[in-house]
Amino acid sequence: MLRLININRRLGDFALTDINLEVSDGQYYVLLGRSGSGKTQLLELIAGLEHPDSGRIILDNEDITRQKIQNRKVGIVFQDYAVFPHMTVFGNIAYPLRVRNETKKDIAEKVENAAAAMNIDHLLERSTEKLSGGEMQRVALARTLITSPRLLLLDEPLSSLDTSLKDDLKRLLRKLNKAGQTIIHVTHDYGDAISLAKRVGVIHNGKIIQEGSVNEVFNNPANRFVARYAGIRNFFRVDIAGEDGSLSGVTEHNTRFRIDGKANVRDSLLLIRNDSIVITYEKPTDVNLNSFRGKVTEIIPSEYGMEVTIDAGDFFYADAPASEIDKLSLTEGKEVWVSFPSKAIVVISGN
Amino acid sequence: MNRKSIFSWLVMILSSLVLLFIIAPLAGMFFHTGGTQFLETVRDKEVQQSVWLTLWVSFAATFIFSFGAIPFAWSLARKKLPAKNLIQGIIDLPIVLPHTAAGIALLGFISRDGILGKAASLAGLNLVNHPAGIALAMAFVSLPFLINAARDGFEAVPERLEKAALNLGASHMKVFFTISLPLAWRSITTGFVMMFARGMSEFGAVVIIAYHPMTAPVLIYERFSSYGLNYARPASVFFILIALLFLIGLRLLSLKRKKKNINIDAQTD
Repeated sequence: MLRLININRRLGDFALTDINLEVSDGQYYVLLGRSGSGKTQLLELIAGLEHPDSGRIILDNEDITRQKIQNRKVGIVFQDYAVFPHMTVFGNIAYPLRVRNETKKDIAEKVENAAAAMNIDHLLERSTEKLSGGEMQRVALARTLITSPRLLLLDEPLSSLDTSLKDDLKRLLRKLNKAGQTIIHVTHDYGDAISLAKRVGVIHNGKIIQEGSVNEVFNNPANRFVARYAGIRNFFRVDIAGEDGSLSGVTEHNTRFRIDGKANVRDSLLLIRNDSIVITYEKPTDVNLNSFRGKVTEIIPSEYGMEVTIDAGDFFYADAPASEIDKLSLTEGKEVWVSFPSKAIVVISGN
Repeated sequence: MNRKSIFSWLVMILSSLVLLFIIAPLAGMFFHTGGTQFLETVRDKEVQQSVWLTLWVSFAATFIFSFGAIPFAWSLARKKLPAKNLIQGIIDLPIVLPHTAAGIALLGFISRDGILGKAASLAGLNLVNHPAGIALAMAFVSLPFLINAARDGFEAVPERLEKAALNLGASHMKVFFTISLPLAWRSITTGFVMMFARGMSEFGAVVIIAYHPMTAPVLIYERFSSYGLNYARPASVFFILIALLFLIGLRLLSLKRKKKNINIDAQTD
């Protein structure tokens, strides 16, 4: 198990601040963050390529904060693969074994096996300068896995692959994880996170701002940043009024929401998932629903089918399959009702 | 004719003039040297000895100093050194110093009164008027070429590759020899050839340290000042030809070696 305890690290203007993280054995942990959020730096700290200013890194109950890189048994695969250009594929995969002075026979055997597992055994004699991105990625993975790392760190492994190669690699990573390999994978891509992660951490400006299972994080985003990752576009800054149980929030355009549960601060942000919003021509009769009348201003294709924008004083964004749009004969300019249950509203601090 | 082509013409003419400026004196010297004269000079034992001395001493100086200069260049490229700019300035100093002044400075250091001279004389060696002293003079003025080229070479090696090698279990020493050095090899070779060539052609610092044994530039000067232009010319032509041959040979060797390295890697793999 990996534990990061109160890790701080300053790099010029940027700082990783108070990072606490636990990754259990066999976990597939995805660290999600934009470029410049500090995710690569965090991986380099875990690998030992950089050292924290304060805090501790514990791996399998052993404090490895100041341990030499070579002894950590933490493997890292860089975003640009860092395949050695002056060596063949074989030379690259054999490198960790050669520096450990293993015998030629052992090296040949292990490299064969590692290459076969990555489906690159036919490339062994090739110069790495002639490899495709996907092949380079596999060489880098084979080279790292041959060291049997306790922890495999992947820096944006999918970002420069095309879609079909991405799927192949995802399959490979899932297989590795299933075989017991603990993986920490950093990415900026929400899709990668939900398709691979067992747990997700969201990192922003050098801080981990939310952590949990995929469902926990994306169904209850802790703030607007996490929400945007989950494809949520309905944010409303409101003033909260009333008491717990019968709270309401009012936007500056006077849209009044009925809210279930509690709100700790007066100035709050309401989030509503796009797929929680239902569009109808008639006013819904259910009194437990928040419903607003508005005009369709835009219908555009989105990752989830179509995204419909409705101007009801404030703008609402609803996701719907294209078939649903056809069924409703929905077009821009039509008057509609948008509705959603009070419990679909997530209240977060306005700050 | 449009403006662009006027500009292109201008650049071409100016470039040709500069090129001609370099070629013309050399070509003139070659044309003014008669075959018999040249052959006589080639057969002249004194000339042969001086050319040979120049070549091997400069090569030895470059080779020996490269053991310190290459790691130094690596640290300049990779390490956060205090006062790095100052250090860089010191390295470049020999390029801007008048070489005779460099020779005088060095003489104070390696004569029997100097620190190095004292140490050498304890070992029974007088550095002044000795090939070892010549090597030091050559190295003093030519070291920046090797250090700077090697530093550029190391800087061009992506740091990621070194980090990856460390992560794969290599020690810092192994990373240096298996990743940094092979990848910076081309620049280092260029620096090596530059230092060798610069050392070979050095006159000012060398003549102060050692008039005898005579290196080729000193010999050419001596022939010129004692006997005149016609007598100095064939020796100059001979030295230039030998130096060119040597430089081309070294270049080819380094290119071949790079190719061979890759092949060996593939074979043993």
